[in-house]
Amino acid sequence: MPIDLEQFKTAYEKWVEESMSDFQAGKMVEILKKYPSIIPGDIPWMPYTGKPSEQTFALITSAGLYLKDSQPAFDTLSIHGDPSIREIPKDVQQEEIGIVHGHYDHSLVEQDINIIFPIHRLMELENDGIIGKTADTHYSCSYVNNVAPLATEAVPKMISGIKAEEVDVVLLVPV
Amino acid sequence: MIEEEGISTISMGNEPERMARIKPPRALQVKFGRGSMFGEPGNVSRQRRILLDAFDALQTITEPGEIRKLPYQWKRPDRPDMTDYQ
Repeated sequence: MPIDLEQFKTAYEKWVEESMSDFQAGKMVEILKKYPSIIPGDIPWMPYTGKPSEQTFALITSAGLYLKDSQPAFDTLSIHGDPSIREIPKDVQQEEIGIVHGHYDHSLVEQDINIIFPIHRLMELENDGIIGKTADTHYSCSYVNNVAPLATEAVPKMISGIKAEEVDVVLLVPV
Repeated sequence: MIEEEGISTISMGNEPERMARIKPPRALQVKFGRGSMFGEPGNVSRQRRILLDAFDALQTITEPGEIRKLPYQWKRPDRPDMTDYQ
């Protein structure tokens, strides 16, 4: 069932209006309690078939990862968050990764990105023949409240990339 | 949106209430804090184990919405809280 974005947009505009003063005061828990979450009526379901050893895997995280030298950081100042997505190549190294997400402690991920984006473990599992292939491109978003542009712009672009690489399975890792 | 495009997913989570709202198609629930779904930094064998658990869940969960709980405990003094929004 497609998500009802029009209903979300109306509720979201009201939430922004009512939450701005709490947001500016840094009361994140308070504003999240009132956030108009999109709760799916039906659980989307694609039955799994095949064998991991013959398939291609991709990672998507909301940890706010980006490539420090070639990509812009995420916006952490707006109440809307940042509805864009960064592409992270499979051969990325720890030192190439920047982390911008205003609402969790990054210090552990700065030690080891694999605790939220286990790209190096996937590569090892590919080398061991446990999975068929690690996709060439993986994805990160960051903190986002205005999910409408995420759903209408960034996610469709990401899905096009995933399909172009013939990815069979996506591992979703929120923070 | 990804499953609707014909691609199977497996999700990680650590907060039952949040997972109940999001309703992931298949999920693993860990006992680790926010921002560390695969355990402690540098714990390669733990990270690998959880990925293997994810592949197992992928192949054996047959009902939409099943959440499988993993038993692993954080083994350092620096475990983040589950919900430490800042």
